[in-house]
Amino acid sequence: MEHKLEELKKDALQAVKAAKDKLHLEEVANKLLGRKQGELTILLKGLKDLSDEMRKSAGQLANEVKQTIEEAINVKRNTFEAEEMKTRLVEEKIDISVPALPKKTRGHLHPNTIVQRDLEDLFSSMGFTVLDGPELESDYYNFTALNIPETHPARDMQDTFYIKGHANWVMRTHTSPMQVRAMQKYGAPLRVVVLGKCFRNEATDVRHEHTFYQMEGLVVDENITFSHLKGVLEIVAKHLYGDDTQVRLRPKFYPFVEPGVNGEVTCFTCQGKGCRLCKNSGWLEIFGAGLVHPNVLKEGGIDPEKYQGFAFGFGLTRLAMLQYGIDDIRLLESGNLSFLEQF
Amino acid sequence: MLISFSWLRYHVALSDTETPDAVADKLKLSTVEVEGIVRSGQPLDNIVVGKVLSAEKHPEADRLKVCHVDVGNEELDIVCGGSNVAVGMLVVVAKNGAKVKWHGEGDLVELKPTKIRGVVSNGMICGADEVGLINRFPKKEEKEIVDVTSLKLKPGTPLAAIVGSPDAVLEIDNKSLSNRPDLWGHYGIAREVAVLTGRPLKPYVVKSIKKGSGVNLSVSVAEQQLCPRYMAVAMSVTVVPSPTWLQEKLIVIGIRPINNVVDVLNYVMLDTSQPLHAFDARHLPDGAIVVRPAQEGETIVTLDEKQRKLTPDMLVIANKEKPVAIAGVMGGLESAVKNDTTTIVIESANFNATAIRKATTKLGLRTDASARFEKGLDPNVCETALQKAVEMLSAINKTFHVVSEVVDVGKSKRSPQQLEMPINFFEKKLGVAIPPKTTRDILMRLGFGVKEKKGQLLITIPTWRAKDVTRAEDIVEEVVRIYGYSAIPASLPVFPITPPEKNTLQTLERNLLDTLVKEEAFTEVYNYSFVSDKQIERIGDTKDRYLALDNPLSSEKPYLRRCLVLNLLENIVDNSANRVEIKLVEVGKVFRPEEPGMRATNNGDELLPAQDTYLTAVYTNKKDQNPFVKIRQALESLTSVLDAGLIIKPAKEAGIGRHPARNADLIYKGQVVGAIYELHPAASRNFGIDSRVGVLKLNVSKLADQWQPPKAGYTSLPSYPEVRRDIAIVVKKDVTFEQVEKTLKQADPLLVAYELFDVYEGATIGQENKSLALHLTFSHTERTLTSDEVDKAYQKITDNLIKKLVAEVRS
Repeated sequence: MEHKLEELKKDALQAVKAAKDKLHLEEVANKLLGRKQGELTILLKGLKDLSDEMRKSAGQLANEVKQTIEEAINVKRNTFEAEEMKTRLVEEKIDISVPALPKKTRGHLHPNTIVQRDLEDLFSSMGFTVLDGPELESDYYNFTALNIPETHPARDMQDTFYIKGHANWVMRTHTSPMQVRAMQKYGAPLRVVVLGKCFRNEATDVRHEHTFYQMEGLVVDENITFSHLKGVLEIVAKHLYGDDTQVRLRPKFYPFVEPGVNGEVTCFTCQGKGCRLCKNSGWLEIFGAGLVHPNVLKEGGIDPEKYQGFAFGFGLTRLAMLQYGIDDIRLLESGNLSFLEQF
Repeated sequence: MLISFSWLRYHVALSDTETPDAVADKLKLSTVEVEGIVRSGQPLDNIVVGKVLSAEKHPEADRLKVCHVDVGNEELDIVCGGSNVAVGMLVVVAKNGAKVKWHGEGDLVELKPTKIRGVVSNGMICGADEVGLINRFPKKEEKEIVDVTSLKLKPGTPLAAIVGSPDAVLEIDNKSLSNRPDLWGHYGIAREVAVLTGRPLKPYVVKSIKKGSGVNLSVSVAEQQLCPRYMAVAMSVTVVPSPTWLQEKLIVIGIRPINNVVDVLNYVMLDTSQPLHAFDARHLPDGAIVVRPAQEGETIVTLDEKQRKLTPDMLVIANKEKPVAIAGVMGGLESAVKNDTTTIVIESANFNATAIRKATTKLGLRTDASARFEKGLDPNVCETALQKAVEMLSAINKTFHVVSEVVDVGKSKRSPQQLEMPINFFEKKLGVAIPPKTTRDILMRLGFGVKEKKGQLLITIPTWRAKDVTRAEDIVEEVVRIYGYSAIPASLPVFPITPPEKNTLQTLERNLLDTLVKEEAFTEVYNYSFVSDKQIERIGDTKDRYLALDNPLSSEKPYLRRCLVLNLLENIVDNSANRVEIKLVEVGKVFRPEEPGMRATNNGDELLPAQDTYLTAVYTNKKDQNPFVKIRQALESLTSVLDAGLIIKPAKEAGIGRHPARNADLIYKGQVVGAIYELHPAASRNFGIDSRVGVLKLNVSKLADQWQPPKAGYTSLPSYPEVRRDIAIVVKKDVTFEQVEKTLKQADPLLVAYELFDVYEGATIGQENKSLALHLTFSHTERTLTSDEVDKAYQKITDNLIKKLVAEVRS
């Protein structure tokens, strides 16, 4: 018996070694270890006919033989499987440079929306309330309440769209009417930004549009100063164009602020060295700002003796054009998909 | 406005380091916008007068000529593209080695011998803008060369002999001067420059006028309020061209010399900012001048040889019979100074700013004079200016003399206003203390009087600043702009951390738009708020429902949009060329005059029209005959924002431009808040769209009033297994899915969910039918269902469908 086992082991290992492929190996395995007809199985069945003592030693050997054969088969099988995997992986090579098909179309937000949201979020994070307000405004909110007298040139027909049959209705020329509306509604202290569509009766060309978007900020409290205005403008400038951006203020007249300034920032394309974009000045004009005129606070129902404030505004349309290098303002309201799909 | 740097230096003693650039930079930071600096004295070496001896067509180019030009010591062949070049013409020739500004732009370029289309060219015949002559010889057309024949110069004369001495001209943006009447002349700018550089400003010294006799002037002013001051004096003169120095001064800043009288008056205006006018005394019989409103129907031919209709709201200067000038705007042609004029009457007056502005607007006529008057000039300057003019005329020609008394109506001098302010007001406004000495020094150099008393400043405002400085805040600005905005440190205000008020409309707008853009691939567009009558007609609407602009830019789009669809349809047309599918979305306000909006004033009753914000999406695909499905899909993806509260119901009203059989209302909390529909095929056709269009519109303002963010609700997961079965039924086409749903819901409590997964129409099931296929889910909360139970429930459902909807169940 023991001799037979040794013989079987020897033959078996030989056969396993000789197996050419996995299929062959499985045949060999079945021939040796098959549950019914396996050579080892049959041999083991003969164990029960042996004497107790012989059975014990032969049984031990039989187990060893079985383990050895099984291990040999497993090793061989693993080798075959590893080879098989290797071949398969090579065969499964694909062209990863092919774009996914069918092509999925995606939608696009308007560039102005992208710029607008960015600023809304910045100011919301600083505790400002975001407002919009009517685009068709009364003469009172658009002009009178903002200290723009009846005789001011801004009221000329060539600058402002008026509404037929309603002499005191206009298409708002700026977002500033919301200053007074906000003061009347919320009182002081106040922190608001207003973003929205504005209109000027101006012929359109590459740089001029009768329809454009503005952003307005207003802060009113007891101890608000010009220094604070400068601080907030610097935050906006750095947010838009990076930490090294500087703000430069120059006098400019707006009836609803006093003092009034325009704000320039370091040109972001040339870092202030001078280039075509900034007309070699190193500066880009983007803000109008100032301390709120006492007459405007009064119209808003706020006591100018007790409170003061600052206001600033800038053209979102201009910011979007600067940001994306858009060279024709008319594209923004053209509905041209080839343009819009770039954002 | 153009400011001559050498003229400024006459009033302020600037050092050599205070260059035009340095001065312009200072002005920019503290006073006005300087848009550019033009140097009139560019190097003129090798640029001479030439005479065109012949001009033949270039053999290779139709628009070029080969000219043979006499330049004094030699004759040159030059290829010239000038449209007006002609034999015998005196021209300006830049010889090789000369430096010129190509086409009047960019840096100077040195000329070298060259070949132009095969023909050798030695030099160039110049345009006026290429050699700094543009003010004197304005171009009539782009390709013109400058024709100096009228100067009767010898060929070879250096151009330097014609062009004045070098100067720099500062181009100041007029808009930045709109609230500073005092800066509309060189002396005003010089005052600022003196303050900014710390150099002394020379006092403006003029001699008083010695009265003469011969002419009795009488001036009557009908409305003092419209003409606060009117000064006049008569002088005997001979009208001839001005001396060269005067002509040059004017040419440098873009004023064309006319004659000695007009040139002097222009000079004085450009110096003092006070416009003057001269009449030929022959047209003022008896020396009578009447300042009065124009009468209805009166007309005048003005200096520009145009007949102007006058209305009673315009002020005129008249003789006894008729107007001789439109006050402050332009003189009349007839009464103007001519070559044979021997006696002039010089007017130096002050007119009401608003009245002048209204008149210029009405007339469509703006002049150097009206631009100044409408800013509100200081009446005190009338006298200085008149004295200066008389002084200059007398200096030009000793024989010119005054032949009347100086008439001065309303001569009461404007007296300076005063205001009082606390010294610490500056710090309160600026957030930083400026040394009191600095404050006082700045103000005094600007011409303000300053006295200090117990913490208060008593400030006297110079009369020339009466218009723009009226309150303490204005004084702060005067100080800070000179002190320098850059010297004010930036700091941040401190606030309590109160969160900002929620803006539901904004949140909704964003979420809805984002969903359509990111999930449904719509692209956002911005359109104008205006529409045309054609668009209104095409959609099938009527114009009377629309608000209109009183003064539209073009008559093309005068109406205010009531919905966003009209312009979106135009977008489809504009983009349709190379696209099969177009998906657009816009968010914007619409204008509905019949619905009330916000208050027009704080206390009044008047209301503005409603201006709700709409979101509108349009979809079209050339291969899609039923765009309603895609548009409904877009709407369904909005449930992530709107939750299931949004109900789709067959439209109650037909609406405008909607397909009557493919039209649904959107209801949110009981209110109609929008619609989804297919565009009416007639409207598609009218707009020139050859595919079907699906429309989704939502009134976001209305939604925002009711809206609450969707709340996800949890129900416990089923403890016992669910059983799924599919069912397919065939019903008549007019049976709605809503009816099917209703039947399903009532059929059996074991049916816990259903889902439609296919709709089929086709000949195989009969043209009048449609087939609906659904997944059905059965379960019980307390036990596992047996297949027998499910079979029974399924049977019940089948029976119900057959009974109630005359359905046929297919297996």
